Amino acid sequence: MAKLPSSVESIIDQFGPHKGYTPKEGFPGVHEPDKLVKTHCCFCGMQCGIQLKVKDNKVTGFEPWMEFPFNEGRLCPKGVQRYLQNNHRDRLLAPYKRVEGKGFERTSWEEALSKTVSEIQRIQNSHGRDAFAMLSGVSLTNEKSYMVGKFARVALKTANLDYNGRLCMVSAGAGNKKAFGLDRISNTWEDLKHAEVIIIAGTNVSETFPTLTHYIWQARDNGAKLIVIDPRVTPIARTADLHLPVRPGGDSALFGAMLKILVDNDWLDHDFIDNYTSGFQESIDAVKDYDLAWAEEKTGIPAAKIQQAAEWWGKAKTSFLLHARGIEHHSKGVDNVLSCINLVLATGRIGRPYCGYGTITGQGNGQGGREHGHKCDQLPGNRDITNPEHRKYISEVWGIDEKEMPGKGLSAYEIIEAIHRGEIKGLITICFNPLVSLPNNNFVREAFEKLEYYVAIDFFLNETARHADLILPGSLHEEEEGTVTTAEGRVVKINQAVTPPGEARKDSDILIELAQRLGVGDKFAYKKAEDTFNELRVASKGGTADYFGITYEKIEKNMGVFWPCPSEDHPGTPRLWEDKKFKTPDGKAHFNPVPYREPSEVVDMEYPVVMTTGRVVSQYLSGSQTRRIGKLVDQYPEPLLEIHPKLAYQYGIKDGDEVMVKTRRGEAVFPAQLVETIREDTVFIPYHWGGKQSANQLTIGTLDPVSKIPEFKVCACMLVPTGKIASIKIKESAFQSF
Amino acid sequence: MQNPQYNQQMEFFVDMQRCIGCHACEMACAECETNGQESMIHIHYVERAVSVQTTVQVCMHCDDPVCANVCPADAITKDDFGVVHTANTSRCIGCSNCVLACPFGVPKKEEKAELMMKCNMCYDRTSAGKKPMCATVCPSQALFYGTREEIEKLRPNSTPVNKFLFGQEEVNTKVNIMMPKGSTELRIHD
Amino acid sequence: MYRLIQTLNRTAFIKATIAAFAVIVLVVLGSRNLQNFDAALIAYLMGAIFAVFGVAYRYSVWLQRPPTRLYWRRSMQFLFSRDFPFYFVRSIRLFFQNILFQRFIYHRSRTRWIGHFLLATGCLIAFAVTIPLTLGWIHFEFKPGNNMLYYAKVFGFEMGSFELGSFVAFMAFHALVWCSVLVTIGAVMMVKRRLTDGGLIATQTFEGDWLPLILLIAISITGLGISYDYTFLQGKTYQFMAVIHAVTVILFLVWIPFGKFFHIFQRLAQLGANLYRYEGRKRGMAVCPHTKEEFATQLHIQDLKEVSKELGFDFTLKDGSSHLDLSPEGKRAALAKAHFEARKNAGAFFG
Repeated sequence: MAKLPSSVESIIDQFGPHKGYTPKEGFPGVHEPDKLVKTHCCFCGMQCGIQLKVKDNKVTGFEPWMEFPFNEGRLCPKGVQRYLQNNHRDRLLAPYKRVEGKGFERTSWEEALSKTVSEIQRIQNSHGRDAFAMLSGVSLTNEKSYMVGKFARVALKTANLDYNGRLCMVSAGAGNKKAFGLDRISNTWEDLKHAEVIIIAGTNVSETFPTLTHYIWQARDNGAKLIVIDPRVTPIARTADLHLPVRPGGDSALFGAMLKILVDNDWLDHDFIDNYTSGFQESIDAVKDYDLAWAEEKTGIPAAKIQQAAEWWGKAKTSFLLHARGIEHHSKGVDNVLSCINLVLATGRIGRPYCGYGTITGQGNGQGGREHGHKCDQLPGNRDITNPEHRKYISEVWGIDEKEMPGKGLSAYEIIEAIHRGEIKGLITICFNPLVSLPNNNFVREAFEKLEYYVAIDFFLNETARHADLILPGSLHEEEEGTVTTAEGRVVKINQAVTPPGEARKDSDILIELAQRLGVGDKFAYKKAEDTFNELRVASKGGTADYFGITYEKIEKNMGVFWPCPSEDHPGTPRLWEDKKFKTPDGKAHFNPVPYREPSEVVDMEYPVVMTTGRVVSQYLSGSQTRRIGKLVDQYPEPLLEIHPKLAYQYGIKDGDEVMVKTRRGEAVFPAQLVETIREDTVFIPYHWGGKQSANQLTIGTLDPVSKIPEFKVCACMLVPTGKIASIKIKESAFQSF
Repeated sequence: MQNPQYNQQMEFFVDMQRCIGCHACEMACAECETNGQESMIHIHYVERAVSVQTTVQVCMHCDDPVCANVCPADAITKDDFGVVHTANTSRCIGCSNCVLACPFGVPKKEEKAELMMKCNMCYDRTSAGKKPMCATVCPSQALFYGTREEIEKLRPNSTPVNKFLFGQEEVNTKVNIMMPKGSTELRIHD
Repeated sequence: MYRLIQTLNRTAFIKATIAAFAVIVLVVLGSRNLQNFDAALIAYLMGAIFAVFGVAYRYSVWLQRPPTRLYWRRSMQFLFSRDFPFYFVRSIRLFFQNILFQRFIYHRSRTRWIGHFLLATGCLIAFAVTIPLTLGWIHFEFKPGNNMLYYAKVFGFEMGSFELGSFVAFMAFHALVWCSVLVTIGAVMMVKRRLTDGGLIATQTFEGDWLPLILLIAISITGLGISYDYTFLQGKTYQFMAVIHAVTVILFLVWIPFGKFFHIFQRLAQLGANLYRYEGRKRGMAVCPHTKEEFATQLHIQDLKEVSKELGFDFTLKDGSSHLDLSPEGKRAALAKAHFEARKNAGAFFG
């Protein structure tokens, strides 16, 4: 809805982000907590176990949870500080409505909800049901994800529902479904410990999944060779046995060349290929010309290193291949994933102890959230919204007529494009901050300025919600019970530590009330989270992501259950494919030919430098949570431009100089950080910030044709030093301990 | 300070090459009840321009602590468990002798408070049979707290070393640094 | 304390004896050959003399330790230099700021400062009142012929007068009551901290932390008891109150040199440390060869090299430089680099 209602400074003044710290002597009563609540960290797909200290219905601190098997008390800095949100001055405590020229003013729930419902009805009546869209996120629990999917289809009756997993795991999900017919990592982290060779491709484990590091280090203690594929020497790459500094966009060339080396040297598992896979010949035909010289040119990696990596991988008896956003955030993200899977299938190392493959899911509930139907093309149980049988089954569970079930809608970025074109007029978001997290965000902002009605549900006022007509205060991770599925496919229990403060409500209560007002209250008659979960179990039954046999009690007793778990007496499935029966229609694992393609934007005379984006350890996603936690901000207060000294020298850039980075989509100024730990042709900017510091002003909105993931990880830029020196404080607090 | 729950079988082992520089230890250190939201552990890049190598430093708890010896106010004491305690708040005069003399660069001076503070290995936790905060949360286990048997089993090709040479000076410590198998000492300067 | 524990320190013994005698001489002079001395206070006097002996002995031993001696010597050297007026004024200012108002404690914690300030102020005023009375330096008498006007005499000299029943008289005669109230409030605040703060609970000791608080509270309460007795009970329990108060006070006095209260005297060294830093900065800062940043004064680094050598720690390196030339961060980086090299040379970072 148009521009901001008042100056951005006044909005920030009222709603933050402000830096929250623990008082010097702790929060009142921290020494004598009323209770310790066993739950999980809200950040990242590891979902580390943690105990929250609660005093007088406020979260006041944490205590490590030593018994939870994945992390045994270990946490990253975000986890240690996660308790600082419920007690935060920026926490939204009441509904707010936009008042032109003034900003946001408190309003009553009654007014807020009735206005929302009348606007939904007005827009849908005049522009069609799909003109009102919903965007969601996978920091939500399984219960809420499921409910959002149902809410959009049953209450809003719109096809246009999508989620921020679209910026996260969809390439991996699409690739896995193509190859295996199922979207989950094949093994638990335990199987890393005795893998002989570990390849981690495009995943800065040390900063984005710090607690996973322990498993990789243990493998190395046991003699594993670690191969890291990354344009930068990340902390996990620093001591790696082999670091392949790939040029952004060159991943599938590397994996293609490695596949060719495996074939040329017959480092293959013929028995596995012949009996349990299909499409091998087409796949190796596709890479037959990808020799080392070609690969060196395409990837920028010395040929000897590629050869070495292939040899280690080829000769290993056990292995684990992991990848994440680094290879997935591309207009050929699915191709990159498939080219990794080809390496795994060619050597047949899957479905056995210490032989694994998978993506490292990024978001808190990135795994569970992508299974139960708040994707535009999906229904619970990882069912397909275009499949008549799937539609029929879910319609029955939901008690609606199958004809009423909307079809496949637009993906997240396509929704934004449709808003920009004027086709979508109204929007409800929950747990999503697209203005920071989507590429080419100047375009995204224009879209938001065109919405007729926009309502945002969130616990803090994020950058996107500043454009909202109405803000509904929802619940934090620790304010509502539910379940989450971790990156290894383990369904764990999130326990409610406190009730939502002030007038804030549980997210699910808000959705239920809206559903009632939209006339479908009978379809949302949940009294508690467990009711929703029990319905989800039934909805997922028979799907690939089958949760039917998982109960709250079973989760608590076993500290998590691995899906698929089709019946209550089933113990869950920590390791997939031990029976080599894949979930594809023919029951085989599929090789997929991956001919190499260039990224959508390559460097040229005008934009001669490769730009890539990524994360830092102290921030999470769009930062709407972590940029409010003082110590996390102080650790890395604002984005720096990582640049190799040789490249910097060409432009006369010195450490700490301000540099304007320009792309065809926008420009932004960052202090330069001269480091030898990045490729000489590439610059890196972390993306967690909004406004003028947002790296996503520069990134490109090209989507993968299959997964619709945007190409965050590569575009072309030019560098223009501004001639100014960035203020010293940035550098000091960014580099040093405090 | 006489706590029967202090387990003397438990030792502290550090391996800086495992450190991923995430600062979890630093955040968790501030949660230790003896420090009042001040962090005592040091974590920083060694030389960021050329490497992402970080180092992490807890108090090594020397057998004969230089800090205590150079303290003009008798503010630093070592207890029966070998734990070198942070400055006694009533005695410390904030002179910084310990800060500058410690060969490991551990003590911190809180300028306004005119007080030196340092790691006491989370005495509130270790004296109650728990692990120190930093070693509990450390996601890479660069900081490890456990028994000698445990570490030998987990890291068969490393040896804990607690003898450090700074020029002529030999410093022996309670805290160990994990070194290549068979090492007996770590020489800091050639 | 580490390498200098001696059974009896002869220098200290002599100095302490002199100090104790000096007090006795002052008592004789101040009380005009004991004619103004209140014999009822004899037990207190003995305690006080012992405390002076003990404090002087411990202080002297303390000053013999190399780092302390150095600070003492440097402080005196800078104070009595050409810059005497400047450093004198600075010392006075610091005395008020850090000794009387203990402002540095405010930065440790606000409630702690409030508690400590109340407690310390109560004690200091009480000292200021009781020590001169006990030593016979002050006494009060009626103006001959006027039994409404009271004289205060210091060392036998008339220093002022006030009317009985006046506000001044009320405040003066009840000074110790007010002190007791301040001390009690402060001590109770400190007790509360020690009962609830997990960090303190883990590290506190009975004799080091609890006993001083208990003593202070006991002195205050028993002192208030005396006032209560003569105000409301017409002195019926005077004997009892007086005796238990005397016992607590004498325990306190005798314990000063050994326990936590010695910090009152040590705290003065903070002023010296401040002058030392100031003068050091004037003379030039040391730059760390690793961080290339200033981190301490050259004077301090130089002095520390010598003091640590004297204590048996020699950080001199082969090239003649010293490990102590590095800043704390530089030292940590040096250790990390050495460790990295050792790992690298062994061929594997893990295992």
